[in-house]
Amino acid sequence: MTSSVTRTAHEVSARALAWLYDHRERGALPADATAELGDPNGAYKPLGETALAASLVLRESVAGSTELRLARELVGFCWREFREGDMLYERQLRFSLMTDPLESYVPFARIGLRHEALDVLLAHTSALRSVRSAESVPNRRLAVANAARVVGLDQGERAYDWEALTRATWLGATPEPWLIDWMTGYCVTHTVFHLTDWGARPTGLPGDLTDYVSTWLPVWIDIWAEIEQWDLVAELMIVGCCLPEPYCTAADWDRLARAQHPDGLVPRDGDPIRDEPALRFADHQHTTVVATIAGTLAVSRALDGTARGL
Amino acid sequence: MVADHVEQADDPKAALAAIRVVGADVFAPFLLADAVFHPADAAALAQSFAVFPPPVGTPAPPPAGPAEPWLAAWRDWGTATLLARFAGTETGGLPAAGTEADGPFAAGTEVDLPYADVGSAGVPPSTDIGGALAPQPSGAPELAEADGVPAVSHTGHTGAPGPTGTPGPGTTWQTWSVRMGQLSPLALPGLDGPVHAVARAAPRALARGATRAVLRRDFPTAARIARWLALLAAEGERLPLDPVPLVRHLGLHGGGPRLALDVAIARRLLAVEDA
Repeated sequence: MTSSVTRTAHEVSARALAWLYDHRERGALPADATAELGDPNGAYKPLGETALAASLVLRESVAGSTELRLARELVGFCWREFREGDMLYERQLRFSLMTDPLESYVPFARIGLRHEALDVLLAHTSALRSVRSAESVPNRRLAVANAARVVGLDQGERAYDWEALTRATWLGATPEPWLIDWMTGYCVTHTVFHLTDWGARPTGLPGDLTDYVSTWLPVWIDIWAEIEQWDLVAELMIVGCCLPEPYCTAADWDRLARAQHPDGLVPRDGDPIRDEPALRFADHQHTTVVATIAGTLAVSRALDGTARGL
Repeated sequence: MVADHVEQADDPKAALAAIRVVGADVFAPFLLADAVFHPADAAALAQSFAVFPPPVGTPAPPPAGPAEPWLAAWRDWGTATLLARFAGTETGGLPAAGTEADGPFAAGTEVDLPYADVGSAGVPPSTDIGGALAPQPSGAPELAEADGVPAVSHTGHTGAPGPTGTPGPGTTWQTWSVRMGQLSPLALPGLDGPVHAVARAAPRALARGATRAVLRRDFPTAARIARWLALLAAEGERLPLDPVPLVRHLGLHGGGPRLALDVAIARRLLAVEDA
């Protein structure tokens, strides 16, 4: 029933968001962090992910007032960690070819937190052939294109060739679905995330790819749920929410709800959880971000469907 | 060919058991290659049923009854139906597709059972050869959702609503496709019935089942389900995936005699030359 999926999805994402909020200080950048970032994957990338989840909670505005408040405060926390954009600006100045300052900026720009000097700098660098031609895998190129789109840089002469970018991905080839592997599963999820801007533009996925994903998504969710790869399963559940006709089942949501811990943590897989609090955060912050987004989009799309049915 | 198998076996009873295990696929060389069916082959098959008879009566389809006996009854029906076809003793039902209209036997021919010494608990030394050896079970594997597509998105039902709004008797595409795989010996040209009808109605659920089985590295199950995909392809049905590389992949990655047989039959159905 629609109501049971919606309720479960809401509960999972509300608990996950609360966990991200409660443990936010564990995700803070080191006190001596500079824009050079010896370990960009350490705290910098997770901060951007937490900001993404919170920004989508705010974008969809389907959560309760408590969740909206937590989301606003979380985005604010991450923005302050990035020194209200100064850190991203300095990093982009220092590393012109890197795309992570643009990508990390997106959740903030999405909800109106802008950094004027960074906007000017991104407008310059993102148009350079040198930057545009930097070598990266195809779904990463889509990430950059979507980031540019959200920030407002995907227009005029600097508009991205979405069709060419799409066809360069694994998904774009509509390959044999029985030969996907774990890493390629993530390539698929991210291709869909960026083409649809995290479910905001379901028609951003071309028709043949929509048919392809609709056909095989249930299989991929099934096999990775069987081996308790919750992180990938939850990403695939986001994919279901990004389709023009959302794929969102009670069975999948009940299973993810069972995997979630009482405090809101969503484990990345079925392995035993390491109890040390810092490791607990480092290991499972990503999956808890993913579950927050999945639940938010599931509720939002269900309400869309209700609205369409009226 | 079938008779030779029994005659040359050290243990004829085991050889007859093997015929029962292989089931309708015993006819694959006659349906898909140029092997010639002889009266002695019919006799060997008839005796395999005499020595290892199917249970009396047809089991109820799941969920009213357990799946396994019902699936076995369907496999027995496939074997008995093709035996009647090739022996020329079938009474009504399907036309003899892909076989000579007037087979090597006149209707009602009684065939001597050559291996009377292996014992056959109360079975007379000769018998009519035909579909009466195994009647057609009722029902066919049912999908809860039409071709694996929920009737309504965001559905919370695990079974499709029946007329009264209660969950229907159907199963998920996962369970359904495994059951269809367990009926893979029915995926032969010349057999037709309710099981074939549900296969034609659900190519997507079959393709999902085969894909799931490959990804779980359950290659024998994948090959069984791929048989149905190959049959549908041979019938000109549109499929959500190309079965040719799938079947080739299974032949290269899977092992065991049953998989080899399913792959060989699928390749014949797909008109892929044997390597």
